[in-house]
Amino acid sequence: MANIKLLEQLCALHGVSGDEEAVRDFILAQITPYTESAVVDAMGNIIAEKKGAQPAKTKLMLNAHMDEVGLIVTHIDSDGYLKFAPVGGIDKRVLCGRSVVIGGGVPGVIGAKPVHLMGADERGKAVPVGELYLDIGASSRQEAEKAVRLGDTVCFAAPFDTQNGMIRGRALDDRAGCAILIDMIQSDLPYDMTFVFCVQEEVGTRGSRTAAYQVRPQAAIVVETTTAADIAGVPEEKQVCRLGGGAVLSFMDKGTIYDRAYYDLALDTAREAQLPCQIKQAVAGGNDAGAIHASRDGVRTIAVSLACRYLHSAVGQIAQEDFRSTRQLIMKLAARIAGSAQV
Amino acid sequence: MEQLKELLFGLCSAAGTPGDEHFAAQQAKKALEPYCSDVAIDHMGNVIGFMGDKNAERQVMLDAHIDQIGMVVTHIDKDGFLHMAPCGGVDRRVLPGAPVTVYGREAFTGIVCCLPPHLAEDDGKVEPVDKMAVDLGLTKAEAEQKVALGDRILLSGRPCALLNHRVSSAALDDRAGCAALIRCAQLLSGKPLTCGLTILLSTREETGSQGAKTGTFRVFPTEAIAVDVSFADQPGVAGHKCGKLGAGPMIGVSPVLDREMKDKLIHIAKDEEIPYQMEVMGGTTGTNADVISTTRSGVRTALLSIPLRYMHTSVEVVDLEDIERTAVLMASYIHHR
Repeated sequence: MANIKLLEQLCALHGVSGDEEAVRDFILAQITPYTESAVVDAMGNIIAEKKGAQPAKTKLMLNAHMDEVGLIVTHIDSDGYLKFAPVGGIDKRVLCGRSVVIGGGVPGVIGAKPVHLMGADERGKAVPVGELYLDIGASSRQEAEKAVRLGDTVCFAAPFDTQNGMIRGRALDDRAGCAILIDMIQSDLPYDMTFVFCVQEEVGTRGSRTAAYQVRPQAAIVVETTTAADIAGVPEEKQVCRLGGGAVLSFMDKGTIYDRAYYDLALDTAREAQLPCQIKQAVAGGNDAGAIHASRDGVRTIAVSLACRYLHSAVGQIAQEDFRSTRQLIMKLAARIAGSAQV
Repeated sequence: MEQLKELLFGLCSAAGTPGDEHFAAQQAKKALEPYCSDVAIDHMGNVIGFMGDKNAERQVMLDAHIDQIGMVVTHIDKDGFLHMAPCGGVDRRVLPGAPVTVYGREAFTGIVCCLPPHLAEDDGKVEPVDKMAVDLGLTKAEAEQKVALGDRILLSGRPCALLNHRVSSAALDDRAGCAALIRCAQLLSGKPLTCGLTILLSTREETGSQGAKTGTFRVFPTEAIAVDVSFADQPGVAGHKCGKLGAGPMIGVSPVLDREMKDKLIHIAKDEEIPYQMEVMGGTTGTNADVISTTRSGVRTALLSIPLRYMHTSVEVVDLEDIERTAVLMASYIHHR
C-alpha cells in the first residue's frame, strides 16, 4: 500500500540541499528496524541493506533523494531584512509573495512592492532574485541576528492536502520517492536490495555520486518526480507527462541516456501487470541517474518517476493513483532486475 | 496584545472578497456583539454596530472595509482548469505557483498553474491574470459539479506571527482596520458615551467603495473616521512615499479630509503620547474616506491609516502596536468633546 500518511510526515520536514538532517533522522527511524544495516556516509547519504527471501542475482540499488530546493540566507542588512541565494533551480516567478520558514523555525515572508506604486512596465515582470529579500519582522540587524544566522536554509511554508484524488504538498520532489522506498523497505522483498537516500541532488547530483561508488551496484532504479506540464495553456506536445497517466519512464534526459533493455523491461513489466505507465515526452531535466549510471565502470540505470506539476515551487501536485501504481511497478521491476543474472 | 492578535487572525482567516464578504462579516459581527447594543448585516453585506446615545447630537461613525482582494472564476476549460478575473487590484506577480483556496460548494485547495524552471522560458515575464488558471485536479465535469462561475478564489496564507509584534497574513488590508475598530469598541465599552457611535465594516471597497457609500447613507453621521492601511517602509519604495512600520497610525491630510478633525487627532495624540505619523496626499485618498465625505449633504471625515508592507499580496505585514494605537487614538477622540 502506498502510504500517504508517511508522505505527509516526510513533506513536513525541512531539508534544503546540504541541510538534510531532519529528513535523514526521520528516515533512519522508519527503516532501521527493517534493515540488515543502515549507515550514514561522509556526505550524509543513508545506505541501507535490506535482506530479501533470496540473495539477488544482480546487485540492485534503489535511489531517492532527501533534499529539496530552497533558499539560503547570505546577508542581513542594517534594517533587519535578509538577502538570500536560491539553492537548486528555482524560477524567480514563484518566489514573490511566499511564506517561508528560516533555519527550521523562524517564519518569514518574501515581500513585493505594492502594485499601486509600480510603473506599468513593472507589473508584468517577475522581480529578479537579487532584488528580493526576506522579512522576519526584525527592525535591525542586531534583532535579526538573534533569530537567524548566515547560512540558515529557508523552506517554503505550504499546506499538505489530499482533496480530489490528488496530493498537494511542499517538497514532493523527492519525498514522494523517499516514501516509496521506505514503504518497500518495510515490506517483504523477494531478493536482497540496497536502498540509498541521497543528499544534494538539487545542487548537482552530488550525494548519489559517492553513494553509487560506495555501493557499487550492477543496476540502479532512480525513483523521482518529474515535470508534468499538463496544465492550462500548454499544447499537448509540450506537456511532457500527465497526472493520472501512471509511472513515467525516461529514455533520455539532460543527464542520462537510460539503459535500453531495462527501459523495455519496465514497459513489459507494466503491461504484464496491467499497471499504467507513460513515457516522458521530452529530453529535459536530470536526476541522480546522471551520476549513478556513469559511476565506476558504469551502472545499468533506469528512472521511474511520478508525474508532478509545479516542481521546484512552493507546492507541487501528484495524483494518488500514480503514487499507488508507481510503487507497485517499482516493486515488480526491482524484483525482475534483482532476480535476473547479468549476462 | 495576545488578544488583539487572536482577534486579527480570526478576522483574516475568514474569507471575504468584494461582493461575497459573508464569512468575514459573520466573524466580525460575532467579535463586535459583546460591545454593541445592536449589530446587524445590511443588504449590501455591511456589518453595522451601534453603541452609545442614539439621541445625542454628535453621531460618530468609524469605518473600515471588510472585503479583501481576490479572484473570481470566469470559465472552466475543457481540461477542468479554472480561468479567472481579478476581484480588486491583484498583484499578478505573486500568482504563479501560488496555493489558493477556491470557495466552491466547499473550500478547495488549488494551485495557480505555472511551468517548472526545467521547462519555462527564462524571460521573467508574468502573464496577466486572465491568461492564468487554477488547478484543482478535477476534470471539466467534476469541476462543474463543485465550482460555479462567479465563485471566488483567495490566495492561501495562514496568518503567522513574526518578530516584534509584527504579523503576516493575506487580508490585513483591511482586516487590520476592522480589528482596530473592534478593539476601539472594546476600549469604549462599559463606560457611558455622550455621543452615538456607529461601527461600519463596509463591503466592496476594493471594487469601488459601494459598501461605504450606501452604509454611510444609512447611518448619516455628523462625523466619520475611515481606517484603512497605507504603505509602510520597505526596500525599493522611496521613503517619502510611505510611513514607517511600528511608528503609530498615519493621520491623513488631504484636500478631501476635514482639517479640524485632523488637528484634533494630532492634538490628542500629542496629549496622550500616542505615537503617530503624518500622511499627506494631494487629492483623493484612494480609501472609503473619499465617498463617505460626499454622502448625502456631506460628512466631515478624517482618515487614519495603519502602515502595511507588501500590500495586495498574501504576505501583507503589519505591526500589532500600530493597530492598538489606532484604536486608542480613536477611543480618546470619541471621548474628547
